Amino acid sequence: MITQHGLKLGINLISSYFGDIVAKVCECLLRKGTLSLGQIVRLTELSRENVKNSLLVLIQHNCVQAFTIQQEGGFQEETKIITQYMVLFDIIIHHMRFPKFLAIVSEDLGKECEEIFEGLLQHGRLSVNQILERHKQTSNQSEGNSQEAVQENFSRLVNARYVERCPAHQPFLAPLTEEETAAKKQGAKSAKTRRQMAEASETLEQRALAEAAPMESIRFLVESFAETKVDEQNSEEDPHSVTVGEKRKQGDLDLDIEDGTRKKKKEVLWRANFEEFVRHLRHKACIANVRTRFDDGAGIVLNAMLEATRSTETKVKMECSVPLSMNTIFEEVMKSEAGRSMTLERVRAALVQLGCHLPAIGIDETYSIDLKNIIELAQNEEVESIVLKRYGREAYRIFRLLSKAGHLLETDKISDTTFVDKKDASKILYKLWKDDYLHMEKIATYGGKQSQFLLWKVNKKSLWEHVLDEMYHAGLNLRLRTAYEQEQEKEILQIPREKLVGELAKRYKRLRKVRIVLESSLMKLDDAIMLFHDF
Amino acid sequence: MEMSKSLRYIIAVCGGEFIKFITAISIPSNSEYMRKFFFSIRMSQSQGTSTVKRKRQDSSPAQTPEQVLLSLIKSKGDMGIWIRDMKRETNLPENLVTKAVKSLLVQKLIKEVVNIQSKGRKHYMAAEFEPSKELTGGTWYVGGNLDMAFISVLKDSCLKIIRKMKVATLEGISDFFKRNKIITVECTTPQIAEILRSMVLDNEIIEVKSTGLGDYSSIPIGTVCYRCATGIGLGQGPKIGAMASTPCGVCPMISQCTPDGIISPKTCVYFTKWLDFDF
Repeated sequence: MITQHGLKLGINLISSYFGDIVAKVCECLLRKGTLSLGQIVRLTELSRENVKNSLLVLIQHNCVQAFTIQQEGGFQEETKIITQYMVLFDIIIHHMRFPKFLAIVSEDLGKECEEIFEGLLQHGRLSVNQILERHKQTSNQSEGNSQEAVQENFSRLVNARYVERCPAHQPFLAPLTEEETAAKKQGAKSAKTRRQMAEASETLEQRALAEAAPMESIRFLVESFAETKVDEQNSEEDPHSVTVGEKRKQGDLDLDIEDGTRKKKKEVLWRANFEEFVRHLRHKACIANVRTRFDDGAGIVLNAMLEATRSTETKVKMECSVPLSMNTIFEEVMKSEAGRSMTLERVRAALVQLGCHLPAIGIDETYSIDLKNIIELAQNEEVESIVLKRYGREAYRIFRLLSKAGHLLETDKISDTTFVDKKDASKILYKLWKDDYLHMEKIATYGGKQSQFLLWKVNKKSLWEHVLDEMYHAGLNLRLRTAYEQEQEKEILQIPREKLVGELAKRYKRLRKVRIVLESSLMKLDDAIMLFHDF
Repeated sequence: MEMSKSLRYIIAVCGGEFIKFITAISIPSNSEYMRKFFFSIRMSQSQGTSTVKRKRQDSSPAQTPEQVLLSLIKSKGDMGIWIRDMKRETNLPENLVTKAVKSLLVQKLIKEVVNIQSKGRKHYMAAEFEPSKELTGGTWYVGGNLDMAFISVLKDSCLKIIRKMKVATLEGISDFFKRNKIITVECTTPQIAEILRSMVLDNEIIEVKSTGLGDYSSIPIGTVCYRCATGIGLGQGPKIGAMASTPCGVCPMISQCTPDGIISPKTCVYFTKWLDFDF
């Protein structure tokens, strides 16, 4: 589910990268859900041409996925095949993380790979030839040599899974089977029609995504040497993919199978594999959390374990790390420089800290770390720190009590356990409740003097959603403020650097500092957003 | 005297109802005896202890409002009773109750206590009782207020002990208190447990289960023990998260903040203050 401010932040990002018209189309899709071209034109009141181009931009930058469905015709009408467009919110938000992704590539694979990768981020999706072309233009090196080097580096990027094949441009979703349609029809009659419809359309989108995704076996396959083969495969699973850039825009966006298949030889398109980066950042967050909670040793061991099993993880939100035997863990730890000083005993102690139960005599035992738990602890910490800063130390204690208890507690009990004066405790609880941080229940008893008790608890599911929305809001605010500061000092930015003296130089310096603070805060805040949304 | 006995009996049985009744009526009787009797009751109600009353106490089970109140208060034991509840339960008029209570206070038969639930209410209890936990708020309350000084002394001591011992169980800490006589007042093990629990909530110490290895070697496996956090980020209290370090993270008005509204990031004073760098 996309929260209100998440949506606003997404629109803001699209508007600043691709302009207002594209943002309008994107907003329409974000608010209304999956739509066809005609519907978008009607809802946005933009010209067909504008909408079409906007969609092309969004598809090129992986923010929109198209798919076709078969629609049964009515009276005297033939069955129609229509193209639907669904927006990919997560990828829109990923756009503000590009500097992070670049840093990861640069750190891992070096400068040359970073350059290639930067091109992919800038253009959304590119073929190998386009990458080579771009490299030719940007660098002045002798051609032959560098071409091979670029190809080599590109392969490294693919092997490291930082780059993947683009999903199919327009997968076709076969109509639902009899049973499914029946279920849907029944649902439509019931009172919960709308909700069930929403669920049905959600599965439709999930199906589209699954259908579009390249097969695991070719997802990271570079076949520049056997191009014909690739083409065959590609045309099978991706019959109507359009080529990038200029040519793409000429292609008719609406489904046109004849045209699509007859197009000249298609090239395989590549894009950044966002999943891998999210995984990378998730691992990093887990390791950082463990390091602060325990010590470096625990961090090193977890790092080694995750590093060794990265390619075998089946999804981003892995609940537990892939099991490894003690020998493998020890070997992996020894690979890193920091781990070389660790003894087996130390590694064992670290595993215990990480929550593994070591048997007294371990033969063929495997160990796996509860990553979900680490993420949850990190989430708790983040929310607790907000409570501390916003509501004070006593509220922090009360909140932690309720969050740890996980069930309803009565006001007096809370006040007693946390050493907060009863009156103050009531006030704090009320304030937290008013701001949606707590859930409250009233219980009335008849007979006896006190007739009403107030019970409180932390409802994590709804609170986490609320906090995430506030984070999107804060992120949007940081971006808006950055834009505002830039706007304020527009004149200074137009003056050449060397002419900036005295008061102007001061203002320039201030602006720079302001931007650094705002942007670095946004990056840090984004870590927290990922913690709640992506991990 | 026959009549007076039966009257007294009625008073004793009906208690407040009857007294209320007789005080409400004027004295219609022309009987000298009746007049005297009513007068004496009224006197005892208005003047507190009188010779009349004492005599009567010795001689019969009949009760004055004071006695009624005293027995009511006593019956409440260590819970005491609110003055309004006294009125409700005895059905005595307000001025009578107030006066009787005053006189009982002077005689030190009852005392006023603070009720933590409602500090404004006048609450009374028989002198021989100590106020219950519900009334005082428990061991941590003194005179109706939370004894913060005592709590913080205990907290500091616990932290020091844990730092010294590295890993400590509740019993260990409690023993340490007793052996070294750190505090003069008595402090029970459950009390220390409460202190430790609140310190865990403050993130000053962490609760762990003994693994029987290393620092834990002297503690049986699985025993709950406390230790100072060893990690880099711990031991310095709670960490400030990414959200909490931006102005929006602590902003009380965030729910009313919109891009172009009255409260907006462009005009936000918190932002301005945050970005106000000195050169």
